Amino acid sequence: MTNDIKEGHVRVEDVTINFAGKSGPVTALDTTSVELKPGTFTALIGPSGCGKSTLMNAIGGFVTPSTGRITLDGTPITGPSTKVGVIFQQYGLFPWFTALGNVRFGLKRYGLPKSEEIDRARAALDEVGLGAHADKFPQQLSGGMKQRVAIARTFAVGPKVLLMDEPFGALDAQTRLVMHDLLLDVWQKHRATVLFVTHDVDEALLLADDVRVMSQAPGRLIRHYEIRQPRPRALSRSGSDLLATRDEIIDLLRPAGALADVH
Amino acid sequence: MAVTDLLPPSERKGRQRPGATALRSMAAGALLRGPLISFVFVLGLWSVVGVLQLVPESIFPAPWSVWSATVEMWANGTLPNDLSVSRSRAAIGFTIGASLGVALGLMTGRIAVVRTLLNPFLTVLRPIPAIALVPVAIVWFGIGEGSKYFVISYTVFLTVWFNTHHGMEYVPEVYLRAARSLGVSRLREFLTVIVPAAAPYIFAGLRLGVALAFLSLVAAELSGASSGIGYRLQEARQYIRTDRMFSLLIILGLMGATVDLIVHRISRKLVHWEQS
Ligand SMILES: Nc1ncnc2c1ncn2[C@@H]1O[C@H](COP(=O)(O)OP(=O)(O)OP(=O)(O)O)[C@@H](O)[C@H]1O
Ligand SMILES: [Mg+2]
Repeated sequence: MTNDIKEGHVRVEDVTINFAGKSGPVTALDTTSVELKPGTFTALIGPSGCGKSTLMNAIGGFVTPSTGRITLDGTPITGPSTKVGVIFQQYGLFPWFTALGNVRFGLKRYGLPKSEEIDRARAALDEVGLGAHADKFPQQLSGGMKQRVAIARTFAVGPKVLLMDEPFGALDAQTRLVMHDLLLDVWQKHRATVLFVTHDVDEALLLADDVRVMSQAPGRLIRHYEIRQPRPRALSRSGSDLLATRDEIIDLLRPAGALADVH
Repeated sequence: MAVTDLLPPSERKGRQRPGATALRSMAAGALLRGPLISFVFVLGLWSVVGVLQLVPESIFPAPWSVWSATVEMWANGTLPNDLSVSRSRAAIGFTIGASLGVALGLMTGRIAVVRTLLNPFLTVLRPIPAIALVPVAIVWFGIGEGSKYFVISYTVFLTVWFNTHHGMEYVPEVYLRAARSLGVSRLREFLTVIVPAAAPYIFAGLRLGVALAFLSLVAAELSGASSGIGYRLQEARQYIRTDRMFSLLIILGLMGATVDLIVHRISRKLVHWEQS
């Protein structure tokens, strides 16, 4: 399914990222190398503070690696661009624009005639099932709807790579399941390379081709699972290998001194 | 599937919102009735003091004496003239100061060089009260309108600048990141992301600016003026006309509160996404 996609090839090569802390530099991401093949869906999972967002921000061009390099289709990433779309946990929608206005904002750089811009923005909202809510402001939408607007806005500019940092972390379980279907649906249409950060092991297993597990801070990638089951997947089905993988990952994520921490 | 266990605590926050909204609308209802009750109460108390003649009229005039002083000043033409003179001074001073304040605030907020060159200086200027500037203003601009505009716009400028600048500093990072990764031009980012994001702070600054315009208006008119509410107050002192003083003070308060309400309404309309 993904073989014919040529663009959206991300290579992270020996990247470390340090930040200036109060008492000297803090390592937010320890030496990390990873390849995201064109059109694949990778879930990144790891303990809080291990550097997932930091890695993501580096691929997004918001943070510069201290060492190593990150390339997209062979070109080093030097800053944010429309080739790399970003979906934030806090949605990142502009509250002064309607849902339609938010999508149109992204289309501005094409310099389309107004009516065509509106048509395209509407089509993008229709695709995520929000056509009827185009004229509402983000504050008038539920969390799930907001995230759908953000997805429509990002896909409308045709990114090669899509970064999602705990995009559904603030949603309830039911909405989350709906969003999974929607995301897979839109993703299969637009075929971007996805990097998806989550704390939810089930979510990672339901969505991703590759699940990468990070260690405690300062984080590095410690495990790679390739999930080959066809989608849509379910974890409840008896005898599923996914359940075994799930237990393994949960075990990996359990902090070393966890037992001592129980109160 | 035990997905429920994985619900983050932030989900729970979302559910409290309806209650909070209801509380807020109750508070809004109370606000509508609040001012009227307060005015009636104070006026009643004041009338009681007047009827009982607890304090000499020349020190604390009764409401009806203040009212007749107002009618008198209106009839002899001084009040309408003073009102229009003061109003235009406040309006012109406010407009100049607010425009400069917003413009410079946007610049110090975005352009590092301008910030480095000006912020420390402006910060030192802020504590200087309007009244302390009057002598300088008179030397620079004479006793004409120029010195009044200067004093008022100076005061308004600093407050509006300060608020605008801080609004620019607190533009959420996520907005800038979203804009950058959507590839909009820097100009569009500035006009349709940064300025709207800072707008609530800018309007807060403008509201403070309105209050300060009236404050500094009186300071500006206390010396070197021959008309205006501030001047008339000074004159009333010379004749020990406490009734007129009260009338002028109340008018000043009502004017300020009215303009403040108008700015507040406008800002609620324009910054409609900011609920509080
Ligand atoms: N701008 C920054 N300046 C200084 N330290 C930072 C900065 N950003 C992140 N860090 C630090 O880097 C480490 C990794 O942070 P990061 O946000 O990447 O973790 P995370 O894996 O996304 O955690 P979470 O799951 O809680 O979101 C943390 O210790 C954090 O405090
Ligand atoms: Mg994070």
